[in-house]
Amino acid sequence: MSDAGMTPMPPSLREYSRRASIVGVGETDYHKDYQAERKRAEGYEPPTVDDLCKLAFDRAMADAGLKPGDIDALAMHYTFGGPDPDEMASYLGITPEKAWVNGHIFAGPLPNIVGRIMSGEVKTVAMIFGIGNRSAGRQFGGNTYGAGMAGPSSYYYFHPWGWSSQAAHWAMMAQRYFAKFGKREEDLGHVPMVVRQHASTNDNAIMQKPFTIDEYMASRYIVRPLHLYDICLVNDGAVCLIVTAADRARDMVKVPVDVAGWSESYITQDKFKVMVDERLRPQIQSAGNEALAMAGLSLDDIGQFEGYDVASIHLVNQLEGFGFTPDGTGIDFCIDGQMTLGGRIPTNIAGGNMSDNYMQGWGQVPEIVRQLRGEAGSRQIAGLNASLSAMTQTDCVHPVIYTRGD
Amino acid sequence: MAEKRPPRAMGPGNEEFWQGCARGELLIQKCGNCGHRPWPVVQTCEQCGSDKLAFEKVSGNGKLASWCTFERPYYGDLMPVPYDTILVELDEGPWFISNPSGFANTDAELGMPVKVTFLDCEDSHGEFRLPVFERA
Ligand SMILES: [Zn+2]
Repeated sequence: MSDAGMTPMPPSLREYSRRASIVGVGETDYHKDYQAERKRAEGYEPPTVDDLCKLAFDRAMADAGLKPGDIDALAMHYTFGGPDPDEMASYLGITPEKAWVNGHIFAGPLPNIVGRIMSGEVKTVAMIFGIGNRSAGRQFGGNTYGAGMAGPSSYYYFHPWGWSSQAAHWAMMAQRYFAKFGKREEDLGHVPMVVRQHASTNDNAIMQKPFTIDEYMASRYIVRPLHLYDICLVNDGAVCLIVTAADRARDMVKVPVDVAGWSESYITQDKFKVMVDERLRPQIQSAGNEALAMAGLSLDDIGQFEGYDVASIHLVNQLEGFGFTPDGTGIDFCIDGQMTLGGRIPTNIAGGNMSDNYMQGWGQVPEIVRQLRGEAGSRQIAGLNASLSAMTQTDCVHPVIYTRGD
Repeated sequence: MAEKRPPRAMGPGNEEFWQGCARGELLIQKCGNCGHRPWPVVQTCEQCGSDKLAFEKVSGNGKLASWCTFERPYYGDLMPVPYDTILVELDEGPWFISNPSGFANTDAELGMPVKVTFLDCEDSHGEFRLPVFERA
């Protein structure tokens, strides 16, 4: 696996479905922080991971209507490190019985916490993800990590051919997709363009200004055939989710959002073939079906999709893989308006990873909570009862299904 | 003259691979238990878990499976942009990341037959020969 240290998940069993709920969400000022970081005005200091986590936590607590004494567990998640969880607890002004680091990216942490709540280990948990990658100047690729870390499925292995960037994976997928299904760059450009249109309704999105296909084509390449607009953002921020047992959630101020289903699937061999040729279709299909079965739902019941648009082509892969549209038709599906409001499946409706924020899978959960509660304003999906998120990387997929808990 | 390149992965299995390249042979591991051919180098078979892996010379023939062109200088002056990379489906199964030789990605076609050739290179470990692919 290219990403070691996934958070272990309980099995995808019906008896785990809808047993815990998200009752509060908080996120940081993505737009404002990104702008400040870009301008770097004299004396500007970027917020620390501590500050970001505290802001997200305070907002989630206010959203949930809870007091510090209501939190008995603090689960921290960092991709590039962060404060000790006990120190974090005192900084947050809480005295949980348990504080620990529970992983990093959104590949397992939420199901993990549901399992702990069901076992009685914890009751009401503040789950926080914090990341300071932009201010640290991190660039995903090249020699950021040395070749000494190269493992069998790591892209650092391919240094001598100059092949080393996350974007190059997506570029290889896109190029084969174009050749196989007769598509062009200007067709794929509709995917980030629609996601940007979605972000234009979101005041906190980092990128809100819509662009045209001409502007897309004129934008620089990152790894040809992919343009700047095809690749996710890199930003600092934090997300906090307050999670508690479903029965306790019923007494809280907001409509609870139940965690109804989950699964995971990995590429175990022939990574390049499965990734570039099959575009993780077998993994996405099997994990999607398992999560739906756990939730007791069919794909038709899902009214919102928050896919991992780390790259535009990968959102296409997920729309096709989960079965919203047949293999090879995802770009047409997008051009046809099917992934926006009024279409078959509003997708990345607040701007996703390409325009809203890049919080390694955590950043799209607040929009699912807002949508399921009916708090999404001008971009509200009417009559929504079930949503799907997917953290989908180059070699694995982690779908989670959420339902309204009232 | 040897072309300067970013460093190779070294360590168990890799030395044998690069020694093969130095002789003009493309070596890929083959599992003695299940016959699977993993790439890149592994210590245990990704299909069956066996450690009975032995390098075997492959034909070096394959088909172009995909390609992309780097436009951002991830390696500074070591790999001046733009430069082309390709993905080759080897006849024996594995999909192999490489560079095109004698053609550019602008001429690339899906399924185009290619064959291995070796480019004299140098990295921080010393001189070596890098497997790249030309039109078959
Ligand atoms: Zn084997």
